[in-house]
Amino acid sequence: MSTYRVSGKGRVNRGETVRFTFDGTSYEGYRGDTIASALLAHGVHLMGRSFKYHRPRGPVAAGTEEPNALVGTSRGKGRFEPNTRATAQELRRGLTVESQNKWPNLKFDVGGINDRMYMLFSAGFYYKTFMWPRSFWDRVYEPIIRAAAGLGRPPEDLDPDRYASRYLHTDLLVVGAGPAGIAAALAAARAGAEVTLMDEHAEMGGSLLSDPDVTIEGAPAWEWLATQLAELDRLGVRRMTRTTAIGYYHQNMVGLCEKLTDHLDDVPADAPRERMWRVRANRVVLAQGALEKPLVFDGNDRPGVMLAGAAQTYLNRYGVKVGDRAVIVTSHDSAYYAAFDLADAGTRIAAIVDTRDTPRDDLAQEAKRRGIDLLAGHTVTGTSGRLRVKSVRVARVSGGKVTDGRAVACDCLLMCGGWTPSLHLFSHTKGTLKFDDALQAFLPDYSAEDCHIAGAGRGLWGYEATLSDGNAAGVAAAVALGHEAQESRIEVQGDRPGTGVTHKELPTDGQPGRARAFVDFQNDVTAKDIRLAVREGMRSIEHVKRYTTNGMATDQGKMSNINGLMIASDAVGKAPPQVGLTTFRPPYTPTTFGTFAGYHRGGHFEVTRKTPIDAWAESHGAAFEPVSLWRRAWYFPKAGEDMDAAVARECAATRNSVGIFDASTLGKIEVQGPDAVEFMNRMYTNPWTKLGIGRARYGLLLGEDGFIRDDGVIGRLAQDLFHVTTTTGGAARVLTMMEDYLQTEWPDLDVWLTSTTEQWATIALNGPNARRVLEPLVEGQDMSAEAFPHMSVAECRVAGFPARLFRISFTGELGFEINVPARHGLALWEALMKSGAQYDICPYGTETMHVLRAEKGFIIVGQDTDGTVTPGDANLSWAVGKKKPDFVGMRSLARPDLVAPGRKQLVGLMTGDGKVKLEEGAQIVADPNQPKPMKMLGHVTSSYYSAALGRHFAMALIEGGHEMEGREVYVPMPDGNHAAKITTTAFYDPEGERLKV
Amino acid sequence: MTNQKHDFPWVTIEDLAPDARFSLRVGEAGRDRAGLTLGLSLPTGVSNVVRHGERAVVCLGPDEWLVTAPEGERDAIVEAFATIYDQTPHSLVEISDRELTYRITGPAAFTLMTIGCPRDLSRLTPGRAVRTVFDGATVILWRDAEDAFRLDVWRSFAPHVRDLLDTGRAELAAGL
Amino acid sequence: MLLIHCPYCDETLPELEFAYAGEAHIERPKDPSALSDEEWRDFLFIRTNPKGTHYERWRHVHGCARYFNAARDTVSDKFLTTYRAGEARPDLDRKEAAE
Repeated sequence: MSTYRVSGKGRVNRGETVRFTFDGTSYEGYRGDTIASALLAHGVHLMGRSFKYHRPRGPVAAGTEEPNALVGTSRGKGRFEPNTRATAQELRRGLTVESQNKWPNLKFDVGGINDRMYMLFSAGFYYKTFMWPRSFWDRVYEPIIRAAAGLGRPPEDLDPDRYASRYLHTDLLVVGAGPAGIAAALAAARAGAEVTLMDEHAEMGGSLLSDPDVTIEGAPAWEWLATQLAELDRLGVRRMTRTTAIGYYHQNMVGLCEKLTDHLDDVPADAPRERMWRVRANRVVLAQGALEKPLVFDGNDRPGVMLAGAAQTYLNRYGVKVGDRAVIVTSHDSAYYAAFDLADAGTRIAAIVDTRDTPRDDLAQEAKRRGIDLLAGHTVTGTSGRLRVKSVRVARVSGGKVTDGRAVACDCLLMCGGWTPSLHLFSHTKGTLKFDDALQAFLPDYSAEDCHIAGAGRGLWGYEATLSDGNAAGVAAAVALGHEAQESRIEVQGDRPGTGVTHKELPTDGQPGRARAFVDFQNDVTAKDIRLAVREGMRSIEHVKRYTTNGMATDQGKMSNINGLMIASDAVGKAPPQVGLTTFRPPYTPTTFGTFAGYHRGGHFEVTRKTPIDAWAESHGAAFEPVSLWRRAWYFPKAGEDMDAAVARECAATRNSVGIFDASTLGKIEVQGPDAVEFMNRMYTNPWTKLGIGRARYGLLLGEDGFIRDDGVIGRLAQDLFHVTTTTGGAARVLTMMEDYLQTEWPDLDVWLTSTTEQWATIALNGPNARRVLEPLVEGQDMSAEAFPHMSVAECRVAGFPARLFRISFTGELGFEINVPARHGLALWEALMKSGAQYDICPYGTETMHVLRAEKGFIIVGQDTDGTVTPGDANLSWAVGKKKPDFVGMRSLARPDLVAPGRKQLVGLMTGDGKVKLEEGAQIVADPNQPKPMKMLGHVTSSYYSAALGRHFAMALIEGGHEMEGREVYVPMPDGNHAAKITTTAFYDPEGERLKV
Repeated sequence: MTNQKHDFPWVTIEDLAPDARFSLRVGEAGRDRAGLTLGLSLPTGVSNVVRHGERAVVCLGPDEWLVTAPEGERDAIVEAFATIYDQTPHSLVEISDRELTYRITGPAAFTLMTIGCPRDLSRLTPGRAVRTVFDGATVILWRDAEDAFRLDVWRSFAPHVRDLLDTGRAELAAGL
Repeated sequence: MLLIHCPYCDETLPELEFAYAGEAHIERPKDPSALSDEEWRDFLFIRTNPKGTHYERWRHVHGCARYFNAARDTVSDKFLTTYRAGEARPDLDRKEAAE
């Protein structure tokens, strides 16, 4: 197998090899490897090219914070993902991996020319360079220069995977299953708390997996770990791995993304790829640990240069040594342990370069014992090597002077600039941070949530300290949850405590202006860029961030923020807290759109409401249109018909004989109680007191601002009982508004409201033959014109079903609306079709309904009104009770603006020859030759072809329209200006003769 | 390596045949009389259920109850309430056709509910019912037993809810 | 997502069951016709929009369907208290002292 595997090391399963490809070459790894660990085992460090300069890059970290080793992965057709973190993605059989941002290939990349032109691409270069000439914006800058930057390519196919989501309620959520998190979970669970413990890695243990050479409570670290996890399982703790806490929201709601299948060779059918957990926890323990910082020096991004802790992880967790000859450069004690582990595993440590003058004694002796050259008070001033580091230049720092530079050969350079407590989730909660001068780090201060922070996440170092702190946090959480618990110290032998210092760029004897000392690897931001931003006037860290893009990549500056701040504050000449820290926002790591969408995609994207008659419409070839959440039959085309032909036929059939229409979507509200009529009087503009039982009336509803909100026919079934109908889209809104007034303004009224929208299926029959079709099916109601005149309502039986029967018309023809319990809707429809067969009964859809009502000048609320239309504007003053003391919106009808001249009013519009269909929404002007910008008088609201009139016609809202009848206006459309004459809106049968049957 | 394989047991989803259902609204003064008319005492306190024979009444709001009964008792209930209307004003609206009902049973029923319901269902103890939301749709959620739920869903929203329940059941069967 | 205590259900429940309904304690005038245009304008449109404690209305729309009132801190977003429609604005200082 590969040459960099270390026998006896790591937790990968040596018994199971997993084959995968990288840029077309086949490799073998072990079960449990990540892409990065498997490639490193083959000595492959070069895994990608950088964002801006196309510099060769390899992994610098070993977890999700990785900024460099971003690769494209494919798990089969449609399952391509760009920017997968090679350091986090586990191997699976057949995984196809490709490097990114290179052409023609990774080792020879033409885009690397950018690196030679780096002076051009300094901070703010977009703003400075892409200004002129204007013609270059579209032809050069966007297509060429922009295309050369960036990472990965977007997937091209539809994502075939499933995504899931669940809600979870838990007493205690512990985020992070390192030593502190495990100790916290265990302490709380032992006290009786119900606990959920989660971690983003494939297995729990955190730093113990990377740094196991300690003894905890008398047991070797990994043995101790196994025992603890077993106890957690025994105590019923819910343990979730491969699960990232992506956001921390109000009142301890934490969003988790659980990766379920990306690591599996064979994915079970119906298994979701990822699951979003919306967790509500009574208490939260954040035990996210700390992230290691790079050091900033020239050439710190070369493949082979990585974090010391990462190298230690590759060794201990994956059994991979990252090189044969390492140099360590550090400002923190922790890198010594990495060096010792590597040395003990066979990597030659060429030198430990400590930027501090006096290393800790015991560490110096351990180094000496292993024969490691320890260079205290030294710096690194550069590296060499094209695709892999070959040597590092080290130099002595004394009295601020850098001297005695010399090259040290190596194949890997392991750096450590100290550790940053991971405070991302805490920051999501609006928790405040304070800068700790001793640690040179931000630590959590005020917490806005019921949460505890434990371990390295609050600046502690060493296992005994973090384990005991975790225990304390678990105890505190348990006590807060009402359990009894005692803190206990967790003893650690051979602990690895440490301290360190934080730097700006490392001192150098070279020219700082030429140094390629990277701060943000992912966005290719150098120390020079940050200093330039400050020179050019940026003072706040927020401005520096945006100008340089430092910390703006998908890693949100996990490794770069503090280094950037140290350099910026040095350049500004202020202490770091005065310069500030940028804000962390969810998600913690990049999260798929699929996880956010969850189940809501394809047919389940949104609720699609269907009526009881929908299935008939579908089987009879209806075209459908969405109306609010409903899908409604739009028209019923016959073979060879387009929409216009079908609608013209449906209109003619209805006006000449009889049409049938599914009106089930209309909103219906039962208003019942002794004060029902008083309530109706207060809500609607119309008077209701004198409406007889068995009679119906058109009702108009305003908002308190006087504008039309809804309309519908309302029938009185009993003294105290009204059957209210609303528009399809207004059903929920009207009931909400009514409940609002009833509950909060008029709680003294004895009346109750119940939605019956879905209790009833509603079928409208319209046309001169409507009665002939219906009458044979009706029992218990005399259907004659005298006994059941226009605007009547009765309870009877139709086709054997209990029914509420209205005689009303939205078409101007003899019309009925039959309501039956929804389960009988389809049967009633079929009975009416059968009864109507001899009259060639014609099913029609919403488009014909719209045409027929427009021919009568009836409005559609929301189409002919827009929330600024009064009853007067819409020719509906007749529906407003003149003698009523009050109703919703009445006072507003006297507002100055509502009585002022020049209001937009609803009128008819007729073009000269009737052949032109004016576009709905088209603007209207008085003079098409006036200079631009033209004065616009209003717009077309409804426009149709009328079979009855033999021509096109339209309605429009026009300023002062009611005074302009007969005047000519112009409607500019793409094909030219069309003259149109303003008319009334009574286009068809203005006298209503057709209802008198 | 820990492998996150849950051993999820079964769950079944059934369509239930319709029963007679009413929305009953009555003020405090008429509460006792209205209960008597049903042969029971109307439960107070949202989510409480009172049963009498095959009738069940759940309190959905301070003056709102959902009455369910066998279809055969529908007319009798309507007539009984009509006779008390003058002395005890109320609103009794038949809604038998407004909602469809699904029954979800089995050891995984609780988990299946959590894919759409944001409430902490452990606080909805068996025997109670609430109006709540499931994947955006208003539902009446009945908890009949530890591992048995019913969902009353407005007819046109029901296929959407059913679709998610079926997806969730398949997901549980996949074991992940 | 916030947690909201419904004063009618006496339960603390997820925000998804609730709908916001504007500022609280704005009573519809008993006789709107008696109001001047300016008074009516103020009733219709003028709202406080404070930074800090805001008295507002919510409806337990996917629940008991009741409208109720709440005092909420617009800085932290969190609810300070909720109470039934028609009840007086609570004295928050006293409430805090009692807790």
